Amino acid sequence: MSTATRNAWLKWVLPYLAVLIVLLLWQAVTASGIVRASAFPTMTDTVAQLGRELVTPTLWSAVGLTLIAWLIGMIITIALGLVVGVLLAFSDFAARSAAPVIEIVKAIPAIAILPLVILTIGSNLTMKVFLICFAAFWPFVIQVIYGVRSMDPVVLDTSKALGVRGVRRFFSVIVPTASPYLVTGMRIASAQALILAIISEIVGGADGVGRQILLAENNGSDSYPTMYAYILVAGFLGLALTGGFFLLERRVMHWHESQRNIRANGALTA
Amino acid sequence: MSRLTASAAPAAGRDITGATAATAADTAPAGIDAGGVAVNGGNSSPPARHTPKAGRAWRRVLLAVWLPLVLLIVWWFASANSTSPFFPPLQSILTETWKQWIVQGAWVNAVASLSNLFVGYVVGGLIGIVFGSLLWRSRYLRQSANPFVYFLYVLPAPALLPASIAIFGIGSTRQIALIAFGAIWPTLLNTLDGMRGVDAVKLDTARALRLGGWRTYFTVVLRSASPQVAAGLRASLTVAIILMVVSEMIASNSGIGYFILQAQAAFAVKKMWTGIIVLAILGTVLNLIFVLVERRVLRWYYRSRALGNS
Repeated sequence: MSTATRNAWLKWVLPYLAVLIVLLLWQAVTASGIVRASAFPTMTDTVAQLGRELVTPTLWSAVGLTLIAWLIGMIITIALGLVVGVLLAFSDFAARSAAPVIEIVKAIPAIAILPLVILTIGSNLTMKVFLICFAAFWPFVIQVIYGVRSMDPVVLDTSKALGVRGVRRFFSVIVPTASPYLVTGMRIASAQALILAIISEIVGGADGVGRQILLAENNGSDSYPTMYAYILVAGFLGLALTGGFFLLERRVMHWHESQRNIRANGALTA
Repeated sequence: MSRLTASAAPAAGRDITGATAATAADTAPAGIDAGGVAVNGGNSSPPARHTPKAGRAWRRVLLAVWLPLVLLIVWWFASANSTSPFFPPLQSILTETWKQWIVQGAWVNAVASLSNLFVGYVVGGLIGIVFGSLLWRSRYLRQSANPFVYFLYVLPAPALLPASIAIFGIGSTRQIALIAFGAIWPTLLNTLDGMRGVDAVKLDTARALRLGGWRTYFTVVLRSASPQVAAGLRASLTVAIILMVVSEMIASNSGIGYFILQAQAAFAVKKMWTGIIVLAILGTVLNLIFVLVERRVLRWYYRSRALGNS
């Protein structure tokens, strides 16, 4: 077998092999009693429990509640962030004045205001969405400002000369040109949104995947397989949402310089 | 599925390069350093400024502080006569902050939080850099670890909070472990990606000069990747601060998060606001310190970029 084919084959098989080995190791360590079952459940118990949970309405309603909060939060964040970011980016003065404010507010962890938000709004969907927006808006708006400001002025001047203005300029010139930054901003915002959704469920007591994790933990060590099953679910949610934006990012950015580098490097070193 | 994860992981780090750009962009106008690379370096700044250097520095500072100041003043006067139980006057929040945190000694909570954060962040950051380097070095290790690294990176870290209680019980070990765990992944992925992006010519030159493995690693690889390592460390800091507060809000008896939640349980809204203020100040100061250190350590990098842009 030539080195190239062997490498290609290894590249394909190694990840599966590693997952298999780690799963077996997990089973060996927990089943043999090296790690107490009261601290960590066995792999088979956890996977079996995940299988059982997958056919219950509890799991799907929890996933649905987490996802709907994420979705509403993202829609508000993106709409508001685009408008505010584009308006700020067009004035040097406005962008430079707003930057420190954005920096400061971004540095406030959104969890800090969680207790206040619970008191004023209550433990419900509105609370979750508010926190998600508070955490996701600032990193997104920074990307919008950065994306618009890195636009080639020739593009803007051309569109101006052609009489493209207002809403049409926004959607046919600004958004496509800044799209690499926008999608990166969305990915960062999405990760923040999911984190805040989970936090508002664990700490804030709203229903969803995070709350199921905490409830299982409260039920004692017999429920630990359930807890880890839900943690896996949270991971899969992250995989689906963040992975989705990765794919979008590569799609949107396929012509962009940074992606060409990835391809070139990928071809060289992978 | 495997194709997605296998190919997406390098992208995971790579497009944090996008975040690198963003970090540079959003710190530049804050007027911390004369660098001002990203936003400033674009096409927007006027080509010639005849103002003397001191005057320009003043303008920068003014531009950076006027809006925060105006907002504070607006908050101050808008809330002055507030009778809402949830939004007390800013003046009374600030006096209460002094009373609670300085006079009555709540600052020990801040110390508890910060020491957990510090230990957890340093441990997590170091693990991230070391394992990122190992994954860079060994292709087979990288391909094997890929699914795990990617899964743990996208897993929302607070979901592990209940599990960390089950494993470590209650106490600062659990908090440190959770902070460290969350801080590993952004740094690891960025380190790996930064190192994979090192110019092959540089590596060949190092080989031709017979620099040796460790010297090549420290003087060429780590140095070339350091801007991206820094971007990863900054993303890790954000995660670490979130985990610091979250881990104090459940099954804990000290820390700022504990303080805020206690105040909420007692409906002591003003006291709760003081916790929020302290956390806001800490978050801002920590980020500022990070930026200052980064600018100092990576001075050569920002300088070369500023040159390249002009």
